[in-house]
Amino acid sequence: MRSLKYILLGSLIVLSSVSCKKWLDVNTDPNNPNNESVLVQNRLPWIQKFYCYTAGVTNFRTSSQAGIYYSNSASGNALSTTWIAHTGNVTPYQTWFVEVASNLNDLYNTAQKNGAWHYMATANVFHALGFMEMLDVYGEMPYTQALSQTASPAHDDGKTIYYGCMSKLNEAISLFEKQQDPTAPALAAGDMWNGGNVDKWIKLCYGLKARYMLKLSKKTDLYNADSILYCLSKAPQSNDDNVVQVSYNNSTALDYLLSDPVVTNGNFDYAAYGSNQRISRFHYNLLTNMRNAGVTDPRMTKIVPASMANVQLDGSGRVASFTWNRSTGVDVHGTATRLVKGGATSIATPTYAAANTNIKYTIANATDRANFIADQVAAGRQHTVDGNDVTVTYKAGSIYINSTNYLFAGDTAYVNMRASSLATSGIAAQGEKDVCWYPSASAFNAGVVGSTGSFQVRPVSDQEILTYHEMCFIKAEVYMRKGEAGQAYTAYRNGIEAHLNMMQKKLTEWQATGFAATNPDMAPMDPGAITAYLSSSAVASAGDLTMADIMLQKYIAMGCSVENWNDMRRFNFSAGNVGSFGVVYPGFDRSPLFAGTAQYTAGAKTDPRYWPRRWALPTTLELNYNLTNVLEVNKHATEPSVWSMPVWWDCATDDEYYGYLK
Amino acid sequence: MRKWKLFSLIMLVMPLIMITNNLMAQEVPVSGTVLSDDGIPLAGVTVSLVGTDRATVTDVQGKFTLTAKEGALLEFSHVGYAKQILKAAGSMSVRLKMSESDQMQDVVVTAMGIKREKKALGYAVTELNAQELMKNKNTNVVNSLVGKVPGVNITQFSGAAGAGATITIRGGNSTSDSRQNQPLFVVDGIIYDNSTTVTGNTATDGMSRSNTTYSNRVMDINPEDIESLSVLKGAAAAALYGSRAADGVVIITTKKGAEGVTKVSVASKVISSWANKLPEAQTVYGNGAYGINGVFNENTYNSWGKKVSASDTLYDNIGDFFQHGLVFDNNVNVSGGSKNGSFFLSASNFDQKGIVPNTGFDKTTFRFNGEQKYGRLTLSSNVAYSIADIDRTLTTAGLYNDNGNGTMGAVYSFPQVFDMKRYQNPDGTQFRRMESAFSLEDDMDNPYWIINKNKLTSRTKRFTGGVNANFKVTDWWNVTARLGYDQYATGDYTYTAPGSAVRPLYQNGRLAKSDFEYSFLTTTVMTNFQKSFKGFDARLMLGTTTENTETANQNHWGYKFTTPGTISFNNIETINQFFRDRISQKRLVGTYGELGLSYKDMVFVNATGRNDWASTLPIDNRSYFYSSVSGAFVFTEVLRNIPLLSFGKVRASWAQVGKDANPYVTNTYVNNPISYGSFIGIGNQYTSGNPYLIPEIQDSWEIGGELRFLQNRISLDYTYYHSETANQIASPRLSNASGYILKSINSGSVINKGMEIALFGKAITQKDFSWDVMLNFSYNRGRLGQFLEGVSYFYPTDAQFGTVKAASIPNGGYFLGMTGQTYLRETDDNAKEIPNGRYQVDPATGLYKLNSTNPVVGNREPKFIGGFNNTFRYKNFILSFLFDFRKGGDVFNGTEYAMVLNGLSKKTLENDRQSVTVSGVNSVTGEDFTQTYTAGQTYNINGTQKDGAYMIQEYWNNYAANSMHFITSVNWIKLRSLSLTYDFSGVLKNKKVFKDLSVTAIGTNLFTWTNYKGMDPEVSAAGGTGGSGSTGIDYLGVPAVASFTFGINMTF
Repeated sequence: MRSLKYILLGSLIVLSSVSCKKWLDVNTDPNNPNNESVLVQNRLPWIQKFYCYTAGVTNFRTSSQAGIYYSNSASGNALSTTWIAHTGNVTPYQTWFVEVASNLNDLYNTAQKNGAWHYMATANVFHALGFMEMLDVYGEMPYTQALSQTASPAHDDGKTIYYGCMSKLNEAISLFEKQQDPTAPALAAGDMWNGGNVDKWIKLCYGLKARYMLKLSKKTDLYNADSILYCLSKAPQSNDDNVVQVSYNNSTALDYLLSDPVVTNGNFDYAAYGSNQRISRFHYNLLTNMRNAGVTDPRMTKIVPASMANVQLDGSGRVASFTWNRSTGVDVHGTATRLVKGGATSIATPTYAAANTNIKYTIANATDRANFIADQVAAGRQHTVDGNDVTVTYKAGSIYINSTNYLFAGDTAYVNMRASSLATSGIAAQGEKDVCWYPSASAFNAGVVGSTGSFQVRPVSDQEILTYHEMCFIKAEVYMRKGEAGQAYTAYRNGIEAHLNMMQKKLTEWQATGFAATNPDMAPMDPGAITAYLSSSAVASAGDLTMADIMLQKYIAMGCSVENWNDMRRFNFSAGNVGSFGVVYPGFDRSPLFAGTAQYTAGAKTDPRYWPRRWALPTTLELNYNLTNVLEVNKHATEPSVWSMPVWWDCATDDEYYGYLK
Repeated sequence: MRKWKLFSLIMLVMPLIMITNNLMAQEVPVSGTVLSDDGIPLAGVTVSLVGTDRATVTDVQGKFTLTAKEGALLEFSHVGYAKQILKAAGSMSVRLKMSESDQMQDVVVTAMGIKREKKALGYAVTELNAQELMKNKNTNVVNSLVGKVPGVNITQFSGAAGAGATITIRGGNSTSDSRQNQPLFVVDGIIYDNSTTVTGNTATDGMSRSNTTYSNRVMDINPEDIESLSVLKGAAAAALYGSRAADGVVIITTKKGAEGVTKVSVASKVISSWANKLPEAQTVYGNGAYGINGVFNENTYNSWGKKVSASDTLYDNIGDFFQHGLVFDNNVNVSGGSKNGSFFLSASNFDQKGIVPNTGFDKTTFRFNGEQKYGRLTLSSNVAYSIADIDRTLTTAGLYNDNGNGTMGAVYSFPQVFDMKRYQNPDGTQFRRMESAFSLEDDMDNPYWIINKNKLTSRTKRFTGGVNANFKVTDWWNVTARLGYDQYATGDYTYTAPGSAVRPLYQNGRLAKSDFEYSFLTTTVMTNFQKSFKGFDARLMLGTTTENTETANQNHWGYKFTTPGTISFNNIETINQFFRDRISQKRLVGTYGELGLSYKDMVFVNATGRNDWASTLPIDNRSYFYSSVSGAFVFTEVLRNIPLLSFGKVRASWAQVGKDANPYVTNTYVNNPISYGSFIGIGNQYTSGNPYLIPEIQDSWEIGGELRFLQNRISLDYTYYHSETANQIASPRLSNASGYILKSINSGSVINKGMEIALFGKAITQKDFSWDVMLNFSYNRGRLGQFLEGVSYFYPTDAQFGTVKAASIPNGGYFLGMTGQTYLRETDDNAKEIPNGRYQVDPATGLYKLNSTNPVVGNREPKFIGGFNNTFRYKNFILSFLFDFRKGGDVFNGTEYAMVLNGLSKKTLENDRQSVTVSGVNSVTGEDFTQTYTAGQTYNINGTQKDGAYMIQEYWNNYAANSMHFITSVNWIKLRSLSLTYDFSGVLKNKKVFKDLSVTAIGTNLFTWTNYKGMDPEVSAAGGTGGSGSTGIDYLGVPAVASFTFGINMTF
């Protein structure tokens, strides 16, 4: 052995002197830049855009839980109607960590090297935004060891994450207040949100602090109204301070991880990409009958979609006349008559009749048959009756349900929120300026609109990060809790008006761009209707303001946002057992089609575990790959009932919280 | 590139020079017959030209041909027979005597192509000759090894045309799915790539191409070209091959021409194949499902619907879908040679039509092997070219659950009340039964739509060539130089027809073409010294090698065809055309040596050492050294008089081998820039690099022995081995909280131990009748050693099949484990589950409570495997049959799982779907719990009213969630092949035309005796080859096939 080693050593020396070390230096991929060479002004736009993606999916799914939307997709329905749990709760987690958070250390470190303090600060802001959102939905996760070299990071409880995020915001504020090195890249070069306006960033930080401090409203020891009001005084003061991600409809680039359109609005990617989502009746009623005033909100037609009905085609097959069929809300939380008849996911998808189409329905129940025939008469549709069989003719140009089941025939009343982007339309000829949904290419050719879409979830909608109207509603709530109804009332009115103004501004912009040409729902609201609404009894007067008034107006204004579900958890949904505020979300309850008996273990509304309180951690990403660490912090993390386990800020005390985790 | 062109030119010209030289050579053909003492033809006798490495093996008639100078010395050696050395003559008749043990000779090919006597080896090697491989010829030579080599485990991906197979020797050593566990293939001294390259992906191809049929690239070899195949199993045997040898080596030697008359051989086969076994679907209930309140929903492809009435038509959708497969397999070769040169030329075509309509595999190969001598210099070259085409179909949809993408998934779920054949409307658009329930992108493509409208094809063109030069300095010193080149290009074509159930962006059609190119260039210089003195023999070999491996992958894709009917990028707007480019390069320099000492054919000691410098490791860690020692002791040299025992040997070896990393894993890279408005964003990729990697190191040892009894008529070979591969370079699936989906790490060790036994016997050796029998048996126990703290399982892939996932279990758990879900059983006072206790029923659901903490539910590794191989010869008839068997090893029947879930499984007919009963203990109170759910009733479960028919469906969902319901510890005995050959050469009078003529009938996979209830227990979903892969998971694949072959072989 020894002699062999010498021989080998000898040849080794010969060889190493001969062989060129350079010949082996081929292990740097010449085709791809690496993490250390990327510029901060390219890193920040990436983070901003993909954060919107994480936020979009979270907003949509929590909005389904909050009753904003009804969904008939198998997984979305689980959140909106049956509550049986959602197995695909991977996307927010994965997009946050893999698409966004993996860039934070590189942004922070590269910025530090360049003296680009403002970019460093943005890394802190995103840290807070993302981890707080994760805390909102998952409760516990790796935090102190996340984004480190540790391949199997330990989990942290919600309290640790919460305080971590708050301290990042403080650090961000002090960094934003510093002057950048003269050689550092200007923030404007990479800031899609605020155009490099540092003041807006600082306001964003304070606004986020206010939002996060409000989460502690159940905790008598930690909730601090004055601190919140202080933060609000430094947060956005008008709509000009709103922070949004502007979206486009000018590209078909797809997300590298999940293949959804990239330049569009993150909420659109989930809520209005397909035909599965509709406005719930709970939400619809707030827009048409707030405070039982019977007044239609001017925002209603902008939020609730419509499709074309009673279409007459001209000789060239184009729409000659039609009426708008404004959607009604899907009754999920009340008696849910339609869903109870057809099943939780049964609302049907409409089809376009390119030619006259006959459908034969067999209706054994005489009452149903009579009602059905009456409906046809009312709609003016040609039909024939033969015993139990009713044959209806849908004229060319109609939007109808292509099913022989009469129960579904009326589902055209529930217009889905689908909008089309260049990447999702499927209709080759549909251009950038038309984001309506058409059920088919022939419908597009005829000009028959299947859906006008909904304000917040079109491909070209602004994705709202933090808005002045939210600040107003937070202020209203805080004053209401302090018992200062007058201050609360001012903030409440400001909030409603701010939201109306923000919408009006965007609608005006859309009209100017040309989107309203095919879609009147993208044109501005009638100013007269706005004035009328504000002076109607749909808006509380100074003397009779309730917490419900504040929260329900906030509900409308926040729309597709995780904050509605956060607020509802703080008020225990419709349990009415928080303070003396009574039932804050009246009418919101489990659906008659509720099936989540394993997830929501309590039988009484006042029991926290009656309600959706969090999501299970993503199965493959954490429950499979990091299980030991998961169970270390939450013993029940793998059980279905974790869905009704309050997160840290949703508990009155630490004892209550740790009691759940035990 | 210019260098390669020049090189290719040389490769092409060389054969021509050789042919010319052959004509002028002085050597003469030597042919003859080798018979045993009692006059029986001896097959497999090695005939070698003394002083050279030229050798051949006798055929089944004991015949051989070889070129040699007249008067040169020929050595005849065969297991159990005394070695004989005779002078070469034109036509020879040789009789070999049963040997005394001290005369035993048996030559095998070992590392670096060096032929050595088997008895001198301190490790196990198995060699198969052409005749054995051809008994059950398969176009994929890997498949011909099943049951024949102890310690080798082969899994065929599926029964689809062109489907590949995986081969692992003594268990897998790497856990990560990006790391191959397959042996290194060396063909005529050149490393030959056997990747199963998945060339496309969802992003570029628009379809999850990973869920389809892939070929392993050894399929590019024409099996008829193979002269012998040698399996080096342990690290000691393979250590000289360096970084890629930790998984063993398969050395293939292709045929050479023999000196003498030029021979032409023609072999033709026709093969008919059919699906072995199909899943059975229930035909009692139609489509539909019940809601929680009992409302019936017909808009689902599930079959939880209403009872089929007499007036309904039922369709055998599964049975009607498959067709008979047909193969035409034609081979021709010409060989010949003279005193100083020889040549071998072959061509073949294998044309297969698969059992899934519109699928097929077509392979054409060419080969030229030549050798030429110039005094002390011998030059040889081997050149092969092949073209392989495959037309395939997707099996299931991909990870992200794209609807409608999978053929097989749809076939096995299509309600039997629907006519699956109706897939399009009169206007050519897809017929969609549930238009009102699903928008197109959420719908499911009809399988006939996919196979008739979409295209998923690949073409691989491969060139391999090697030039060898051997210079004999003196009779004890020679130098060999070798240049090898292996290159292939695979072109993939993926077309999604307009109107398919895909995301809207692609509903106007989508086209993707990808080109993958692999090239490998290696140079080797070796020198051998050999000296004998006073009973000692000493050998020293020193060598150095360089390897350069490059891959280039270009993807082109686009969507939205402007003019219908023209499927071309030219018919796509420029903004909808895309391009992506990826390359990788790795280099390796190795220097190695081997020292062998032996004393009087009794004691043999061998040591090797190798140092590698690998480009893929961080600069500080790129150099690593490893060594091996082996020894053999023929104890019958000392203990000569043991009754019955004619030969006995013990052997032992120890070896260490290193394994480098994949290219570019030391850095973290970023994604392509994406623009938003006026901004350009760039972010990190989901794979993180690791600048601190060190090489994987495998330590292994083996002991064994060989005993021969009754004048060598019976021989027994035994090996026990142990290996541990530490510092696993892996990118396991871990928490995404690191910021990455995949992260390169060095962690964990894989431990394999096992045993191999082979028994050979010549049961009958009469003149007209003989019976040779071989029985082998082996087992491997693969375990994962330590791993990252806090991580319960090592998941090689994200893929989950039904409820189970392939997993390796740390701290001594199964390497080929599976995790899943089970029903919880009642617990004792310490809250521990009682084995075989009653199930817990969750009062919240009224159904069995599931253990959702991913318990280990199975071990996919068999307890043992083996083969029983028999050859009978009666006059001109040769009958042979091969059984292979397996005991144990869990298989997950994911196809049945899927069918239970969608209500198509016959299991779900229990009680005519009128009731199900849940019985066990209440998971909260511990009290007895029994509840029957009856259709038509309503149940209050935890405050919620639930309909009985709904609860019956829920019961089956709950049933499906328990992985144990679909896991079987599988045993099988397969009649892998049965062949009957009649040799006409004896009866052909005019031998001037035909030298040989034989006809063969072969049945393959005709019978399987197994306790497995699914399609075929020999399965691997998605064809995963790396890490612990997906072997043992039967999930919606193309069923395995049985076949019948008729063939004719002629030699002129």
